[in-house]
Amino acid sequence: MSIQNTQTGTEETTTIQQKVLENKRPAAIWAVGMLVLVGLEFGRITGWVVTAGGVAALIFDLFVSLPAIIGSNVGGVFGFAGDFVATGVRLVTTVAVALLLLAIPAGTVRRLLPVSPAKELRPEMPVNIRLLVDRAIVTLGLFVAALLIVLTPVGGAVDSIIAAIQSLFDSAASVQTLTSRETIPNQGYESPSGSGWEGTFMGLSPALAWALRVTVIYLYATLLVFWIWKGYTTYRQHYREADWTPLDDSIDRFRGHKWGLFGLAVVFAFLVLAIWAPVMGPTTIEANHYEPYSNEFQYLGDSGDVQSTFHGTANIQSRSNGDSNVGPMSYDDYGRWAPFGTNADGKDLFTFLAFGARTSLVIGLVTIGLSGMFALILALVSSYYKGIIDLVAVMGSDTVQSIPALLLILMLMVTLREFEHPIVGIYDGGILLAFILAFTYWPGLWRSIRGPTLQVSESEWIDAAKSYGQKPSVIMRKHMAPYVLAYMLIYASLILGTIIITTAALSFLGIGIGAPTPEWGRMIESGRGYISTQSWHISTIPGIMIVFVVIGFNALGDAIRDAIDIEADISGESATGGAA
Amino acid sequence: MSRWRYFGLRLLLTIPILFLAMTLVFMITRMGPLDPVTAILGPEASGGASEDIRQRLGLDLPLWRQYIDFMVGLLTFDLGQAWVAAQRGTPVTALIAERAPRTIWLGLWAIMLPIFIGVPLGFYAGLRSNTFGDWIASFLGIVWQAMPNFWLGIMLLAVLRQTRPGNQFDFLPDWYELGPTTESLLGTPDLSFIAIDWFLLVPIPTMFDFFGFLTALKQITPAALVLGSALMVSEMRIGRTAVLEQVNANYVETAKAKGLKGRTIVWKHIFRNASIPLVPVLMSEISILIGGSVIIEVVFGINGIGQLFYQAVLQGDLPVAGSLAFVFAVITLFFNVLQDLLYTLIDPRVGFEQ
Repeated sequence: MSIQNTQTGTEETTTIQQKVLENKRPAAIWAVGMLVLVGLEFGRITGWVVTAGGVAALIFDLFVSLPAIIGSNVGGVFGFAGDFVATGVRLVTTVAVALLLLAIPAGTVRRLLPVSPAKELRPEMPVNIRLLVDRAIVTLGLFVAALLIVLTPVGGAVDSIIAAIQSLFDSAASVQTLTSRETIPNQGYESPSGSGWEGTFMGLSPALAWALRVTVIYLYATLLVFWIWKGYTTYRQHYREADWTPLDDSIDRFRGHKWGLFGLAVVFAFLVLAIWAPVMGPTTIEANHYEPYSNEFQYLGDSGDVQSTFHGTANIQSRSNGDSNVGPMSYDDYGRWAPFGTNADGKDLFTFLAFGARTSLVIGLVTIGLSGMFALILALVSSYYKGIIDLVAVMGSDTVQSIPALLLILMLMVTLREFEHPIVGIYDGGILLAFILAFTYWPGLWRSIRGPTLQVSESEWIDAAKSYGQKPSVIMRKHMAPYVLAYMLIYASLILGTIIITTAALSFLGIGIGAPTPEWGRMIESGRGYISTQSWHISTIPGIMIVFVVIGFNALGDAIRDAIDIEADISGESATGGAA
Repeated sequence: MSRWRYFGLRLLLTIPILFLAMTLVFMITRMGPLDPVTAILGPEASGGASEDIRQRLGLDLPLWRQYIDFMVGLLTFDLGQAWVAAQRGTPVTALIAERAPRTIWLGLWAIMLPIFIGVPLGFYAGLRSNTFGDWIASFLGIVWQAMPNFWLGIMLLAVLRQTRPGNQFDFLPDWYELGPTTESLLGTPDLSFIAIDWFLLVPIPTMFDFFGFLTALKQITPAALVLGSALMVSEMRIGRTAVLEQVNANYVETAKAKGLKGRTIVWKHIFRNASIPLVPVLMSEISILIGGSVIIEVVFGINGIGQLFYQAVLQGDLPVAGSLAFVFAVITLFFNVLQDLLYTLIDPRVGFEQ
């Protein structure tokens, strides 16, 4: 914004920094509030940063592992000379991948350079070529620097510095926070003297302590969202350049949309459940689900003394399989609180479902992210250039859609899970499933935004930008994409429901996410045999949760559509839900 | 572009799309990491047996040769043989012929719901928008649409099972004794109540047993209800929106001013225009019906094509799965063309530009 202002220079405009300096109070109040909120959950937020770093490292590793895969594949084709060719190909692809990866930060580094190397060499070079050459030179420079670091003792020093930073973050991530299990513990045993509970928060019963912690989590999350919203309104009221933007009207419409607000509330509850999953359950998932035989807990034995046993041993006595039953909102024989009862293995259902929410969310986000990005780029390119590219896109999407979605996903899942690649192992096939879902659902997304994108590409401002000499990539990014993004948002919300249902359905069929990763559909399947018995809750509760979450996302999508007030020709409800 | 030329173009496009779909199936079944031979014989297959199967499946040929054989095989409807233990050696076409009637029986009753209940209900709700009835219909529609089919099926089975006297839901009529007595809720409907002879592509029923018909209908009802209900709801919601849009259109004002009777306006103008957006939805539902039939047939234990596909996929019998996927692709593409044709006939406005 500031650059534009200095360029036009005709109006008396101020940057946001200047505005904040002129009127410090509202910004300061907001910043202090935000600091307090972040401080309360400092450990957890650091943990999120660490996780994000881990994901980034994983993606980086994926790229880095490409040369090895390509090398071995190419080597296989060449037979006798395979080893030699493979080594060569691997070397070449390693350098190529490294250069490509370095080209990304090179753009930023180039902007920071005081001089332009290309301009020094050949001043008459056109601007756009000069920028490319500059970037290439910077990339090469970075490559040489990286080689020097890796091949000399400096590499070891850098490694140890990174390790030190990592351990710093890790220790920060383990700091106790407001919503930690340690702050409001709910696991304890009835005191032998009969005067309440030992080990729980203020001697409350485990049920109350658990309810208190869940309430605190939701209160904190609500406050956080409210404060971020407050930050936006503060910005709008005190610091924004324009008095009014179209977004204000959309937000006002959304706030009056009762159905949409209900959807937002449900989606919010789902997100908080997924994000705070480790502290949501009455027990930890490690102790209860993954490693029940390496975690002990204490309980009040029949003889009136405190004994300790493994979770796994206790689980056997707490099964809900028709004969014995630990129903919703009840304790098992060991004084462990089970808000949603236990499953047929005696494990706590709520803990499992909280992590199942996390699985669904990750799959949904990965799917939407990948297919949405692909659909958006394809829609922009195909509607900008039209002609043959559009035709190819039509044919590609029709091809994928010609095979019924569920069947295609089933086939792909069964074959691709045989791949011996680390990705297949993450979430027991969850990420692989997300990739497959993205491949299956991009045609739908692309189709739904194709109309609006074509419409934008015909508008006058695109013509104006073209005649002004703007680059196609910039036109697509700056003048077309923002308009289409609104449509994407609607569809993303509507299709998320479908993704959640499909994931559950596949896991129900035994082809989606395998054990032990918690997943709602698999829990429905495992409780299927007990549904006519007293242990009806195992299949019923996850199903109801799916229904709620899907309703929430659908309502949110409807509300966004109404709020943005675009032509009602998006029949988003058209046959998205029922597939599975 | 005239609309018939547009239709011709769409028709022409179907051919490369079918080829691409077949290629996709080939890539999944033959080039993927899942080895059909290991799937058939298990991981510790001996050299001789696996070589034999490799040869009989044509897997020892170079890839381009396999591709040509595969394409020619599919196009001549020589769909290969099943390799799953139970049906080893049975041609896939025979398997399909045996099981297809059950799936068609299921789909037939399932599609009744959206057409004969969903659409009229949606039109009704649209005409009486913002009344209590409309509100109830919309609300139920939203909830219904969010329910996964497999879960709905399980729940329905649980409720029906408990309609036996002395159980939780025995205030409902006993499902087992309602109409023809049934032994089990699960299972394949017996379709032998009708015998059909083919006379030059015209089916002529030679025998019809009404009681058998009722039994088969009762057997399929829960499954068809679940499979059709999701489609019914989406039809209802779209029908409602479509009618609402037409009711507020200017031409309705004009028709009223002209003195047309309300009934004429509704039946001749509103309903006709409102059915245009329903056409593509109904057609796209064919694909959803096929996908849904897999899950429904598994939940309700019906031995149809969906179940066959599921078993084939589960046991790694990719030749069967691939052939079935091809058949489904042909069906989907046929309905796509049909949809374009209907569109061209009903809606004069459709053109390539849109």
